[in-house]
Amino acid sequence: MKKQQNLIEFSQNIQLTTVSTDGIIKETETTLFDWKTGDSIYEIHPFFEILNSFIDDYDPNNTEFSFPCIHFENNHQERICDVSIHLDLKEIILTFFDYTQKYKELNTIAQQRNESILKSKELELKNQYLIEKEEFKNSFIANINHEIRTPLTSILGFVEVLEKTQLTFEQEELSRIIKRESHHLNALIDDMIDISKIESGKLQIVEERFSFQDIINGFRESYTMMAEEKEIDFEIDLDPNIQEYLIGDRTRMYQILNNLLNNAFKFTEEGSIRLSITKNYQRTNKLSLNFKIEDTGIGILKENLPHLFERFTRFNTDKQISGNGLGLAIVKNLTDLLNGEIKVTSQPEKGTIFNINLPFKFEVTKTSSSPQRKKKKYKLPENKGKFRILLVEDEEITQYLIMKILISQGNFFVDIAINGEEAIQYIERRKYDLILMDLTVSKLDGFQTTNMIRNNYGDKFISEIPIIGFSGKASETVKDKCIRSGMDDFLPKPFEQEDLLYKITRQIAKKAAD
Amino acid sequence: MKLSKKVVLLGHFGVGKTSLFRRFIDNEFSGEYKVTLGVQIKKKVVVLPDGRELSMIIWDTEGHSDSVQDTRKSYLLGSHAFIYVFDLTREDTYKNLNQDLKYLKKTYTKVTAKIIGNKLDLVNEKEVTLRLKEQEIPFDCLTSAKTNKNVQNFFLDLAKEITNEAS
Repeated sequence: MKKQQNLIEFSQNIQLTTVSTDGIIKETETTLFDWKTGDSIYEIHPFFEILNSFIDDYDPNNTEFSFPCIHFENNHQERICDVSIHLDLKEIILTFFDYTQKYKELNTIAQQRNESILKSKELELKNQYLIEKEEFKNSFIANINHEIRTPLTSILGFVEVLEKTQLTFEQEELSRIIKRESHHLNALIDDMIDISKIESGKLQIVEERFSFQDIINGFRESYTMMAEEKEIDFEIDLDPNIQEYLIGDRTRMYQILNNLLNNAFKFTEEGSIRLSITKNYQRTNKLSLNFKIEDTGIGILKENLPHLFERFTRFNTDKQISGNGLGLAIVKNLTDLLNGEIKVTSQPEKGTIFNINLPFKFEVTKTSSSPQRKKKKYKLPENKGKFRILLVEDEEITQYLIMKILISQGNFFVDIAINGEEAIQYIERRKYDLILMDLTVSKLDGFQTTNMIRNNYGDKFISEIPIIGFSGKASETVKDKCIRSGMDDFLPKPFEQEDLLYKITRQIAKKAAD
Repeated sequence: MKLSKKVVLLGHFGVGKTSLFRRFIDNEFSGEYKVTLGVQIKKKVVVLPDGRELSMIIWDTEGHSDSVQDTRKSYLLGSHAFIYVFDLTREDTYKNLNQDLKYLKKTYTKVTAKIIGNKLDLVNEKEVTLRLKEQEIPFDCLTSAKTNKNVQNFFLDLAKEITNEAS
């Protein structure tokens, strides 16, 4: 019974139409389409134009054609049919199989499938666009960093030179302002670089053993002075059970605390600031510390708290209070990177409390009384007259600055090479006690020039000349690259006069001791 | 004598074949994506420069997801021109273009094959042209079915070309 019903339904979905070779309908059923005998099939639907090409290229061995899923219309109703064509020299037999229902169901599935693929492609594209944008931003920041640091080196250097001349009180004050503002600018660049590194996932967290007590003592020293200047109280409560030496990223911990203390000092005009450090827990060689920074400053409005750690967010409109809106964003990002947590509570006009938990490790076996590492003092060898330095640098202003610093010491002769090739020519002609090598000079860069000096000469006076690289691209990676390429030390720009002289003296003294 | 030419739109799904089809035939556009199942066929009569009328029978085929060889062979029978459409914003719609083109030219030696980069409204024309050149992606025309840029002219030029070949 069911079989018979299926057969009836099937026959209701089929139509046979016979057409003459000139396209006139000779005979037709009207199950699907209400066509009439005598109508031109070509006028009914453009699909049938295909018949012309079959007739024109008639091949008795190829007389059967089938076309699945052709869209037709009958009385404004869509019919999707498979069409079979049988051709001979007298007539064409067309068989239509109506699969509208089946194709519509398939259509829904195909629509969903294609839409989901297109959507994922769109997301992929958006993601790619964002990655490219991020890369562009990061390389832009890295480049602009270099471009800004180079003139900044000159500004700071010349201010130091200027400070050593006879200045009036007013000039001294002005040069102090230039120096302070230049340091601010330098700090801003550091912040920008940090935020860009954090966001691009390039900031490496290091684990090193360091004196926790030293860092805290450093804070005590510098912020007590600041508190005295502002006439407010400053206190550090340090849990005596905390190990003196810890293992963790000292630089990033320092940065977090320094940023928060700086902030507290910026926004507190009276009352007190307190840093309390306690142990949350200690297990085997791990411990978690809680840092609580409380101030009695202006506080933060409740509605602003959720946005506190966003980049370039400043709620205080007082232009006397400096800031770039990056500090707390860096604090939050660094805390996350260190697997720590940060919380803030605040009351306007009463003050703010930051609570940070950070994990550390410590060495169980070692005693905590390791000697403090102090900067070792070096002296230039006394049995020699002046020392000859080759400065490889293409920027005139930096050449002038370094010349001025070194010559004013009275211990150095300085030659200048403006690129790597010229440096090679110089060292072949003269003996040098040290080379100061800018990393980005032309022809041969600092790394290539160092490589040639270290590997191409049998003469030890040349191949073992101490080389100090310097660059505005200041990072641990650049420093490592310098050391790996054969340089003896690295000096980031901008540098202080004292650092430059210390590094030169150290290298010359070490070489003399060998 | 009545002139009639069959032109088949080919290419990946979602590249805008149906949009070009609708823009050329009915001068309509919809931003909503609707999948084409099988093939839709429509006719448009264009007047050639010599005054003759040409019926362009446009077959808008279901888009493939990988290669043009996935398109049903019967749809390509009796064609005078293929228009291979790709999406200027989706590299995967033209990464196999050279292979597909080679296949079409080898299998259908007498059929004119044209290449269109569509969705020009979504990209910078200069940048995309440069990128396609760098990637050695050939194309005959860049179009926007949305804004109608270059659509009508492309089909009219094609009409002229396929009727000249025939005459």
